Amino acid sequence: MRGSRKGLALFVLGLISLLIATACSSNNGGGSSTQSNAPVTKGGTYRSATSSFGFVGDFDPVGEYTAVGFSYYQMLLRTLLNYTGEAGAAGLVPHPDLATDLGTVSSDGLTYTYHLKDNIKFGPPINREITSSDIKYAFERIDSSSLVAQYAFYYDGVIQGMAQHSGPPRNISGIDTPDPKTIVFHLTTPTSDFPARLSLAATAPVPEEVAKCFTKPAGGYGNDIVSSGPYMIQGADQMDPSSCSTIKPMSGYDPTSHLILVRNPNWDQSTDNLRKAYVNGLNMSIDSNVDDIFNKISSGSLDGSFYEIPPPTVLQKYSTDASLKPYMHIDPQNTTYYLSMNLIVPPFDDIHVRKAVNWIIDKAGIQKAWGGPATGTIAGHIMPPSMAGLGTDYNPYGTPGNTGDLAKAEAEMKQSKYDPGHTGKCTDPVCNGVILLNRNEPPWTDAEAGVVAALAKIGINVKARELESGAAYQTIDTVKTGAQVGISMNPRWGADYGDPNTFAQPLFSSQALIPVGTSNYSMVGMTSAQAKKFGVTYPAGGVPSADSQINSCLPKTGQDRETCFQGFDKYLMEQVVPWVPMFWANQVTITSPTVTNFAFDQFTGFIALQNVAVSNNASP
Amino acid sequence: MRQDQSIRADQVDAGAPAQPGSEDDVAVGKSPWQLFWRRFKRDKFALVGGVLIILLIAIALLAPLIAKMVGHGPNELFDNATNEFGLPIGPSSKFWFGADRSGRDVFVRTIYGARTSLAVAFLATGIATAIGVTLGVIAGYIGGSVDTVISRLIDVVLSLPLLLFALGISAACSVAKNGCLHGLVQPGLRLVVFIIALFTWPYLARIVRGQVLSLREREFIEASHSMGAGEWRIMFADILPNLAAPIIVYTTLIIPSNILFEAALSFLGVGIPQTTPSWGRMLADASNSQLFTYAWWMMLFPGIFLLVTTLAFNLLGDGLRDALDPRSRR
Amino acid sequence: MWRYIVRRLVWVVFVLLFITLLTYVLFYVMPPTDPSILFAGKHPTPQVIAQVRKNLGLDRPFVVQYFLYLKHIVVGDQYGWPGLGFSFTTGKAVRSLIMEKLAVTFALSLGASIVWLLIGVPIGIISAIKPGSVYDRVGMGFALFFVSAPVFWVGLMFLWIFWSKLHIAAGTGYYPISQYGVFTWANHMIMPWVVLALVFAAFYARMVRGNLIETMSEDYIRTARAKGISERRVIVKHGLRAALTPVVTMFGIDFGLLFGGAIITETVFNLQGLGLLSVQSVNNGDLPVIVAITLVASFAVTFMNLVVDIVYAYLDPRVRYT
Repeated sequence: MRGSRKGLALFVLGLISLLIATACSSNNGGGSSTQSNAPVTKGGTYRSATSSFGFVGDFDPVGEYTAVGFSYYQMLLRTLLNYTGEAGAAGLVPHPDLATDLGTVSSDGLTYTYHLKDNIKFGPPINREITSSDIKYAFERIDSSSLVAQYAFYYDGVIQGMAQHSGPPRNISGIDTPDPKTIVFHLTTPTSDFPARLSLAATAPVPEEVAKCFTKPAGGYGNDIVSSGPYMIQGADQMDPSSCSTIKPMSGYDPTSHLILVRNPNWDQSTDNLRKAYVNGLNMSIDSNVDDIFNKISSGSLDGSFYEIPPPTVLQKYSTDASLKPYMHIDPQNTTYYLSMNLIVPPFDDIHVRKAVNWIIDKAGIQKAWGGPATGTIAGHIMPPSMAGLGTDYNPYGTPGNTGDLAKAEAEMKQSKYDPGHTGKCTDPVCNGVILLNRNEPPWTDAEAGVVAALAKIGINVKARELESGAAYQTIDTVKTGAQVGISMNPRWGADYGDPNTFAQPLFSSQALIPVGTSNYSMVGMTSAQAKKFGVTYPAGGVPSADSQINSCLPKTGQDRETCFQGFDKYLMEQVVPWVPMFWANQVTITSPTVTNFAFDQFTGFIALQNVAVSNNASP
Repeated sequence: MRQDQSIRADQVDAGAPAQPGSEDDVAVGKSPWQLFWRRFKRDKFALVGGVLIILLIAIALLAPLIAKMVGHGPNELFDNATNEFGLPIGPSSKFWFGADRSGRDVFVRTIYGARTSLAVAFLATGIATAIGVTLGVIAGYIGGSVDTVISRLIDVVLSLPLLLFALGISAACSVAKNGCLHGLVQPGLRLVVFIIALFTWPYLARIVRGQVLSLREREFIEASHSMGAGEWRIMFADILPNLAAPIIVYTTLIIPSNILFEAALSFLGVGIPQTTPSWGRMLADASNSQLFTYAWWMMLFPGIFLLVTTLAFNLLGDGLRDALDPRSRR
Repeated sequence: MWRYIVRRLVWVVFVLLFITLLTYVLFYVMPPTDPSILFAGKHPTPQVIAQVRKNLGLDRPFVVQYFLYLKHIVVGDQYGWPGLGFSFTTGKAVRSLIMEKLAVTFALSLGASIVWLLIGVPIGIISAIKPGSVYDRVGMGFALFFVSAPVFWVGLMFLWIFWSKLHIAAGTGYYPISQYGVFTWANHMIMPWVVLALVFAAFYARMVRGNLIETMSEDYIRTARAKGISERRVIVKHGLRAALTPVVTMFGIDFGLLFGGAIITETVFNLQGLGLLSVQSVNNGDLPVIVAITLVASFAVTFMNLVVDIVYAYLDPRVRYT
């Protein structure tokens, strides 16, 4: 993530190597963004439905970090750099969006200068040109702590003068706007992935005349987002920005009912080569009944699904019917679903037990419970193949058919101190009644029985607990309560952007261990001092650490970085064994025949709304 | 108990105690219990109900044996019972009631489900009865401010949105390793029993209180008083036996409500772990992703068993009520 | 009479206060999820969590929060009156959220209650008039069946038979009149109405039958017959009045109870009413919504209890005011 770098050229070189490595890695079920043979049509509305928006920042771009939120922002907003909205590694390469080019970097890597294109305007009701001050204002909002910018840590302490403060947005010394078309960032330290951070929605230009009315509490601006992209929220032109009291929420967004986007008349296609903007608008409605959504897609009243996993009956229907198969789009996301074992909870504090667990789990059964091979690729290691490039060949605990191997598991268990009699089963009293945490929704609940049965085979008799997803996460991301859970089935991890460290530091470094909100659910690298601070029991055998391995990879770039993180993945799988990786997820999107162009945005991991085309004549 | 909301009295007004022997006096004097038994025997439906219940209890007790005969355990997973999409097979010679999405035998799980439903119903009802009767007797007999406090408590508990609180308590108690109340209430059967007992005792308390109120004024109580018997003695030796009949009747009538309550809680996801088969949970699994439109067996069989069980208790309860209180005879 | 009403009203207020306090304690002190952590996002720093907590108003002491909440109910807040705050999950004003969902629950309850009265009461009456006859057996058989059948199973069976297999009924989901017109709305409400109604109808049929039979055996009925009044008039004028009075009061209570949301029916048929909202908010730890729904539900029940008691006392002079 942070490290010394010798210039833009090296970075680009590294990126190219990454691309080559990714292209060469085998990818089961990958990137089949099949498109129908009908010609791409302009116009119409993309009609879709989702069970809930799931926003965590009330749709205000400064705080919204969900990938589904980003999917809408790809239609609404533009940033200095952005992505092409296509599948595969090409979809992860930043391109100039509001900027004229990829920017100029000073030789010491501390100053980034970007020039803005001409004829880029805000949508109604602001209607004026976007200036560098508007971009700077977005950064100022990030630092106003009452607005709760979730990704602030990517900028605070990185750009000079940026740090959280209470109070309304104020000037940042490290960002210069010498003229309305130029913006200069002064960094505190060379940061090789800084350009990627300029693609996040929190940095999209914000008109101060509107946003100044929403300084607290957080989220208010989400009802009145002013567009910089091809689309605007319906009703934006009716919003009266003359004063704070006249500003009412735009009618096109109702958090429990719908989000309707229509064309932004001020968007000039000649300035935007990243977005095709075929449709005249988007109509996303809330329908809490997921099956209903897929029924409507088959009947034609909706054009396609969004992030929801299709139920197994739908997967079967579309997989077995040749006429329907083209409408099922399977695209790999950069996400791993896994079993997380807690290294401070017996019997999982013993590496032999963790290895035995890796041998015994029936991953094929889990894939079945999810709905079959379309839903993902069985994972042999931690980082998805698109990350550091280790492919499906490396599978240190691979078993025939991926159903688990009792003999190997027992052999491993016999070496554990919790099997003093060398029976091949965990016989120590701690093996009974360990908590297994799971979500209370399908398909997690359907996969649970297989995991429970497999663990029982090696003598680990778990007590399964099913919680709602948020509660489940909160239990394991709070160290104190996480320490009560031996093994959890609920987590999945997706990369923030295309750098392998996003699968390393937050998940396995001891720095990531904070009392509340940690992502290092396995507690890798916890020291006894930390244990004392958190008030949890430190295992007698200690806890393996990954810190030095991570730190040795961080300064590297390009192919070296890749190779280093591949080695890190192997180290984790063989020396630390914190997880049982279950599978690398695919996003399965179902469309109806009205969709004449389907595109998958690798950056968000979902359908590229900004590039789809439909043949219906519906108006938003 | 009505399934959507809280409990209320079914039909019989709570005012009058049973009047045994008032209509069926024959020349040869029979004891109240003999008369009761005679009336009960004549009620065919009640007998059917009783037989069904005995059958169900037998099935519940013999579940492991039945599972052994079939050759499938309740939590045994069969890979060939699901297709590549994880969709289960339907009723066949090996799986009489078909399989579920995890590859388990629905027939065996349905049989085991009887244990859960009956255990919860009996336990929860037992606890609720104990609490309800005690508080009802105390409130009715002692009266005054004690009665006021208890009656108000009953009112409040009966006004609570039942399922909402049940969900909240369940969610709250599922998080920590040891559940709530320092490990006394663990997620699973204990939690469900706790919740059901917590919300159904007021129903009994209210009825018992009404009964006690009218009993209190009767002569035999006065007689006991004048003989110098203490309050507690009167409560337990004189009043309680006279409450036996209505207690039996109402307890039997609450049991089907509690069975349905447990099923509703399981249906909504209150934590009985999957390793303990529960009909409500099986129905919830069938309704997820509208699976029942494909795997109808997952919905039909547990539902029928649930229906029959509740029906049996209702029949029995009706019969008991009619036998003990002939005024409301069919 | 008025003293009684006033006393009862005071009691209603007290009960509501107590229930809100209980709800607050339950969902605040023993929460399944701490909302500030839940919404603090993917990489929460202690500062972020503290800020979220402040935004949600959770940084103040519990007692202060509770009193502020009460104050807002009485005085209103920035979203109008009564001030119920904003939802943690969506930022939407709880007041408008509740109003929207209440409309759905109300539509469900009203429709179902009409159906159950139209089915249940006549069945009960006919069974009572001709006890032991075919009508009685069939009627009571039907009643016994639906009293014993779990609502969610009946709902699923209906969906399976009438929607999935026979395709004569519309599917799940709520289709508001404003967007889809009355016909589509009603089409999708028929099954939920019927399913919810059947269970109640069964109870009411049994209750009416029991009450009417009991009433018909009273002395004053014998007197009326002896006076030569026609059987029909005896039943309608004398019998029904006494038998149905408890039914009217029972109906009031049951209708009030439905405002807690017919959770199961709404879940099975995916109707976005108060019931479904309550399940979702418990899962999300959305405290303001939970408390608001509890308030609405408890208010409906206690208020209807009061109304019912007053009506009953008015209709049946034998009842004393305690």
